Amino acid sequence: MKFLAGENIPELLEKLSLLSEVWAPRELRGSGGTVMFERWRSGDPLDLEHFASLSAKDMVLPRTEKLFGFSYAFGGAAVGNPFGAPAESAGGIPATAGESIRITAAEPAGNVVLFGARACDAKALTVLDALFDQTDGKGYNDPQYRARRAGLTVITLACVTSDPACFCSSFENGTAEKAGSDLILYPVDGGFLAEAVTPKGETVIESGVNSRNKVGSARGPGDSDPETGEAASGLTLFEESALETPVLAVTAKVEGLEGLRQKLAAIFDDLEFWQAETEKCISCGYCTYACPTCHCFNIHDEMRGDREGVRLRSWDACMFHLYTQETSGHNPRPTLAHRYRNRINHKFSYYPENQGEILCTGCGRCIRGCPVGLDIRDVLRQAVECSASPGEGGDR
Amino acid sequence: MTTVVQAGVKATDPLRPEPAKVIEVIAETANIKTFHIAFDEPSLMEAFTFLPGQIGQLGILGAGESTFAISSAPSGRDGIEFSVMKTGVVTSAIHELRAGDPVAVRAPLGCAFPTDDWRGKNIVLVGGGIGMAPLRSLLFYLLDNRGDYGDLTLVYGARTPEDLCYADNRRDWEERPDLDFTATIDTVCSTWDGCVGLVPSVVEEKAPSPDNSVAVTCGPPIMIRYALESLEKMGFREEQVYTTLERRMKCGIGLCGRCNLGPKYVCTDGPVFSLTELRALPNGL
Repeated sequence: MKFLAGENIPELLEKLSLLSEVWAPRELRGSGGTVMFERWRSGDPLDLEHFASLSAKDMVLPRTEKLFGFSYAFGGAAVGNPFGAPAESAGGIPATAGESIRITAAEPAGNVVLFGARACDAKALTVLDALFDQTDGKGYNDPQYRARRAGLTVITLACVTSDPACFCSSFENGTAEKAGSDLILYPVDGGFLAEAVTPKGETVIESGVNSRNKVGSARGPGDSDPETGEAASGLTLFEESALETPVLAVTAKVEGLEGLRQKLAAIFDDLEFWQAETEKCISCGYCTYACPTCHCFNIHDEMRGDREGVRLRSWDACMFHLYTQETSGHNPRPTLAHRYRNRINHKFSYYPENQGEILCTGCGRCIRGCPVGLDIRDVLRQAVECSASPGEGGDR
Repeated sequence: MTTVVQAGVKATDPLRPEPAKVIEVIAETANIKTFHIAFDEPSLMEAFTFLPGQIGQLGILGAGESTFAISSAPSGRDGIEFSVMKTGVVTSAIHELRAGDPVAVRAPLGCAFPTDDWRGKNIVLVGGGIGMAPLRSLLFYLLDNRGDYGDLTLVYGARTPEDLCYADNRRDWEERPDLDFTATIDTVCSTWDGCVGLVPSVVEEKAPSPDNSVAVTCGPPIMIRYALESLEKMGFREEQVYTTLERRMKCGIGLCGRCNLGPKYVCTDGPVFSLTELRALPNGL
């Protein structure tokens, strides 16, 4: 494997930022320790120790994203102000038949390097791919998601320590999960061992070669040593190394998750169970926003004046009452219990059934950030226990 | 669920609508209008096909879009129709539309009635209120392919005579010898000399045979509930009964996450479901 000295990371990011936006975790100034994935610019500090509060899903599903722009060709009218006064009074222009719409595509997404993701963040991307980038032709593909995903390179920081809320070891590979990562950095003394998982990862390693043009050096990037014909050592950020990869952290494991789909089906109609589990929930939606796999969205239009506007999509949350509220007043998921039951089933039953992936990677963000201390691991444990003795209620 | 999802008009960019124009607005009732629309691009209009039961997103850029059943005949080549009840922000904006006004449409979406599987069978249509919209499209299709099907029965009801849609169509349907059509209203009314009674009871009175038959019901949830009871009482088995569902929808393509019943999405797996399929779903019916 290759060794990357810790002190060389800013230089690597510098190189990468020539061709891509770079996003990396850093402590928000004045936040008292909140770490977030932020756009990295030369000189910005990094925080590779703490866990980012929110996930990196913005890289592929921005919290608000323009789907397209639109404009009306001429006249005022019919739609001058869809929410307000009758068309005739919009700017004094009478309603005119024969206007036409022009739709303009959103600007294409550029390349992004995500630096310092964790295995759970990277895995979440492949989980989302199963829905938004379906190659089997059965579903619809999402062109904007696919463009962002194609332009994304993920450099993952392997976890040698973990947080009490982490529970990725409940799933197949835990901290050793490689899916979704292009390059994995394993922390070792003085730096990191780098393992390229994909061709994109190889490219990152190549971009480090001969990158350091010392002052006074006549050589340009990509030049090799004229005498040896090899890339001069000392001019590459990634050096060959015989170091062993470190022992990775083992996180909390929720037992009994095998056959969870059947277990959840067994307690589906036990609304009392779901009421008990959600008693303290305040429907704030934090868990859905922090989650790396939650992807529900809303679509809405914003006008700029009377003539043009944009159609946007933005994150939505299944824990909100209005999410499924119909205009008639009917709500198919009227209570918190209904909504949370759907949330858990979506993650651990429906999505696995439809997409073949569990819609959770055990990152623990929903646990760390929940304002009332609702712990999804407890809910899963209770569900497993309760399904073993349906009707008796288990330990509620 | 029987028919595969058809590619929308923009299979490559399914969230992007196509510009279209309102050709005609027909006021059906005090709060329901039917909008006949056509795509701006003639080649798109020529290539457009759908099957009865499929849905579409009709919207006004700036106000938003909502999901509606396509209520016109699949054989119609000059446009498609949506019947819209004025209820919320988007439908109120749509109700302001006049002929010539621009709209934005994403269609067709969702799965159709499995009309191929129904060939040779008798078909019983049970509709209430605005729920007649998808049944109207289905009925047009069945009448266009009349020879492929057995007896056709339609019971269509609303609260009052003024709440019945599709007056012109109803006159045609009443005159057709190859369709047994009954329009009914909930309570006696001085302007109505036709059938009076709730839709499920009228269906029971007409008592179409369940033998080699399929029943399709669409209407307000309470009507569907009692219609299903009546049909089962008459001997229709689950697999002979179909309905269409409605949910709040945004994307219409199975991504945004809100219209699911268990693992099935009304927008892509539905809106057409057989009673067998629904009863297998958690909280189906």
